[in-house]
Amino acid sequence: MMVTFDDLTAGLDDLPSLPAVVMELLGSIDQEDADLTLLAKKVALDQALTAKTLRLANSSAFGLQVKVTTIQQAMTFLGFQATRNLILAASMTGCFPSGRCPAFDDKAFWRLSIATAACARVLARHMHFNQDVAFTAGLVHGIGRLVLVTRYPERYDAVLRECARADGDLLETERALLGIDHVLAGRALAEHWQFSDTLRQAIAFYGQPDMPGAGFLATIVHVANAVAHALDLAGDADEVVPPVSSVAWTALGLSEEAWLQVFRETELQFEEMTAILLA
Amino acid sequence: MSNDHELVPVTKALPGMVLSDELLDSHGLVLLAKGAVLSEAIIASLGRHQIDMVPVARVEAHRAPDGAAVQARLDFLFRRHARDGDSDSDWAGHLLRRYVEDYRLERQVAP
Repeated sequence: MMVTFDDLTAGLDDLPSLPAVVMELLGSIDQEDADLTLLAKKVALDQALTAKTLRLANSSAFGLQVKVTTIQQAMTFLGFQATRNLILAASMTGCFPSGRCPAFDDKAFWRLSIATAACARVLARHMHFNQDVAFTAGLVHGIGRLVLVTRYPERYDAVLRECARADGDLLETERALLGIDHVLAGRALAEHWQFSDTLRQAIAFYGQPDMPGAGFLATIVHVANAVAHALDLAGDADEVVPPVSSVAWTALGLSEEAWLQVFRETELQFEEMTAILLA
Repeated sequence: MSNDHELVPVTKALPGMVLSDELLDSHGLVLLAKGAVLSEAIIASLGRHQIDMVPVARVEAHRAPDGAAVQARLDFLFRRHARDGDSDSDWAGHLLRRYVEDYRLERQVAP
């Protein structure tokens, strides 16, 4: 029996949810008059989340001259948007239970997501694009896989086994055995969690950045994802580099020298961030 | 210079690199302590202090890569981007493959 889109969306409420305060932060993106002091206080009530967020804020990727010790300080020095994205990163990496789907390696999944996020951030700097948005988009681009693993653990296990056996394409195998793929599942979750339109588009189009209306963020995440696979950072024995869109590659317009710097910087930031987020 | 650190030009310094020695300014004052982690802001400020080279810890012990093993793994990772395939449709994949090979095998790249 194939899974339908309605079946998938009907079950989203049963998925693990983000902490209430994170949902509130996501909902306040476009709110000019959001009460930052109140939000900072609410985040501070969650000690584990606060500690992770502050370690991330103080990592070299963000280049702060002073160490921040409170969420309020982080908001002052990094800005509201950057801090919100750090809180999102810190909360999401701990939010899905692992172990119900033996063929799914959740550590490798997050390592790939963090590598993509780190690379997207470096690429965004070269492109004068918003680095915080690129980082978050890189981190969440594959979130639909977590939806499928959590909702249909046994069936997704079969998908992953078949994919490994035939060395097949993941999206195609998902569609053949399940009826839906992780891009669709990711879009549904992004809507359910009220992600911004920009993030939703990146999740929907990261595999097809050439589509009309895909947006530049999808281009950045597409290439960052390919680089993360190519640098072999997930630690997955069956790793394979996905197709690389020539249109997206050309749009970035980087020289070989620039690319080698991107690889190096991605690896440095990746090591630091995995140490914090997967601790 | 021992094997666990190297001098890199400030223009090649990257955020995340760790200072292997303290860094002094032209008056002999300590600018940065040994072990400080470089950030974009710090790297920019080094230029303002007329510092050209920084001593940084090598990332892992800098052994020459085992070329054959690295190449074999890269061939596996890029198995869907055949080197001699129809390169017209996959030239971006080919470029990525070449650049990652240059990076992993530490080939000299013309600037």
